[in-house]
Formats: sequence, C-alpha cells, structure tokens
Amino acid sequence: MSDCQGLGDCDDTRMQRIYEYLDGALTHDDIAEIKEHLDECPECHEQYDLECVIRVMVKRSCTEAAPENLKNSILDRIHSIRPVEADAEA
Amino acid sequence: MVLVKEPGLLEAADADPWALALTGAISTPRKVTVDLNAMSTMDPAVAAMHEVAGNDDAQPAKTSAAKSSAARTAAARAAAESAAADATAVETVAADGTGQPLDTAAETDDERRVRFERDAMQYVDQLYSAAMRMARNPADAEDLVQEAYTKAFSAFHQYKPGTNLKAWLYRILTNTYINLYRKRQREPLQSNSDTIEDWQLARAESHTSTGLRSAEAEALDHLPDSDVKRALQSIPEEFRLAVYFADVEGFAYKEISDIMNTPIGTVMSRLHRGRRMLRDMLADYAAERGFKAAGDHAAEAESKNQENGK
Repeated sequence: MSDCQGLGDCDDTRMQRIYEYLDGALTHDDIAEIKEHLDECPECHEQYDLECVIRVMVKRSCTEAAPENLKNSILDRIHSIRPVEADAEA
Repeated sequence: MVLVKEPGLLEAADADPWALALTGAISTPRKVTVDLNAMSTMDPAVAAMHEVAGNDDAQPAKTSAAKSSAARTAAARAAAESAAADATAVETVAADGTGQPLDTAAETDDERRVRFERDAMQYVDQLYSAAMRMARNPADAEDLVQEAYTKAFSAFHQYKPGTNLKAWLYRILTNTYINLYRKRQREPLQSNSDTIEDWQLARAESHTSTGLRSAEAEALDHLPDSDVKRALQSIPEEFRLAVYFADVEGFAYKEISDIMNTPIGTVMSRLHRGRRMLRDMLADYAAERGFKAAGDHAAEAESKNQENGK
C-alpha cells in the first residue's frame, strides 16, 4: 500500500495504529504522535480518512428505528412478569 | 454486594451461569442467585479521560482545501464522541433523584419496574439495530430484543446502578442471541485468548484533516445504505458484531470485550480483520456500481473480472 514507515513497518501495523486512534484507544502521547504524522504524511492520512468515511457510512446505514409496536410488546410482557424475589439476595 | 470476578462467563453458553439463570428467572418463579458481575464496563476514570481528550479539540481546519475532508473527519469524530457520551451519560444517574445512592435492596417491585422503564427502555431502537445485525430479519430481531428485555427485567435487581446500563443490556442481547439462535453452535463468539491489559484510553478526536478526500473515499461514500448493510452482513458474525459495537455504538475495546465476553486482544483483532473485510467488500460494491476509484487496485481488479464475465 505504501512505503511509509511512520506508523509501523507494515500495512497491518499502520492500520492497527489508525484503528486504535479512531477507537480512542491510544494514550495522549500516542495521539499527539499519530496526529503529527497524519498531518505530514498524505498516504497515511488517506488511509485514515477512508476509515473515517467507512465508519460514518456504517453508522448511518445501521441505525434503524424499532417497529412501533415493539416497545409496547416489551412493556406488556414486563408487566406480566412476576419479578424474582430479589430483595433477599442483594 | 461486591462483585469482582474476571469476565469469562461465556466460556460455553451451556455453562454460563448468567445466561442459564436468566432463563430460569423467566420460566420459573423461584429465586435465582447469580453473579451478574462486572458490567461496570466504563470505568469512571476512563470516562473522565474521554472528556479531557474531548476538551483539547479546538484546532480549526487549516486550509480551505481541507474543508470537505475535515468535515467528513469531524462527522466521524462527532459520531464517535456522541456515542461515547451516550455510553457514559445515563449511568451517572445512579441516584433516584434525591441525590442519595439508590438502595436496590429496599426497592419494591413497582419501583424497580419504574426504574427499568425509565432507564432501560430508551435503548430499544439501538438494541433493535444491533439485533438486526444478529438475526438478519426484522421478525427475528424483534423477538430477540423482546426476549433480551424480558431477561434484563427479570435480572434487573442484579444490575449495579452506576455501571454502564447500555453495555449491560447489550451483553444480555448478545447472550440471548447465542442461546436462542445459535444453539447448534454453542461456542461463544471467540477463539483466541490473547489479552491486553491496562490500556490507557483516550479519545482520538482532535486530528485536523489536511488533504482532499481520496477518490476511493469518494467512491465508497456514494454507496447506498443497503450496500453497506449487505457488506456488513456478509462478513462473519464475530467480526460483524465487533465492528458494529465499535463503529455504531462507539464502545471502547473493554466494553466490547465485556459484551462479547472475549479478551480485549481478540476484540482488537476482530475489529482489524472485520474492517479489512468490510472495506474490501465495499470497494467491490463501488466497482460493481461503476464508482471507479482512480488508483484503487481492488476496484480495478474487480471491474476487470466483471468485464471478463467472471
């Protein structure tokens, strides 16, 4: 994909860093480092940008509203349940 | 009640005391004693770090050429942040409005029901969306969500106020799915056992985009939602769900690890592989639809394949 080694010496390592960055799984020091690199490396930045696009697409596509009646069905069912005797064991 | 027990309950669904107890709680009126344990998936310290990380996000976009890309990036960032905020916001309401810690032991059945309806029912849409990624059709997804909510209600006295309720519900949903719909293959959604502990988490939120969007990004962005769903459905479910939990819900690795009952290292590798698969799939779809991305080898190869009549 690229010869850049700023984020690691292979594509996998590099993508892993980008994923961790997007997932909020890096330390503050790591974040500063990767930001600096992304700002100066078009290749890595392109990968990062692409992952951002996909993330937005997935989120947009997979946000469905539950059918109208589902909430009522759940409530009906909950109201028909006799809860277990929880008080004693807490 | 102090619950300190390592995750690992779902070694096998059959042996999962949690899932079994939940089932028992519904089908029989007898008292069930279970450790629901460890749904405190969002450590307050981690949540605080997220907030801190969010606050230094004050850099303006640098160039006008970066506008489109920056906007896109900002959208992803905002989405991730809102999901993170969402995941932590509700759980701060551990009190009953009086400022006193909630005494669940002293709670009446009616009070618990009211609390459940107030706190848990707000996630029906989100759980339904997740269920759609599991059950693959609306009717089954509805059943799954209804079953999960029924179990959650029956076990609600075991939910520890102040911990991450949404993650707790997701875990019940995932277990319900495993037990109801995957009975033939009862192994949990996991394989490896590599673990990475003591992660210091922080939001990667404040990167300012500098370049124009690539042709590949443009091509993918033209795909309709149906293609994205189809691509996601086509990758194996453990990868699909990991991607869903991370990208749509913005859960942290630790939270996904709790929900799917797999080590954090496994979550990370599933995300990595799942995203790769998803991206390749989307590139294929874009090529099929003629959204050619210049310099995109995958797309070029795919369109050549099609020209050759496959």
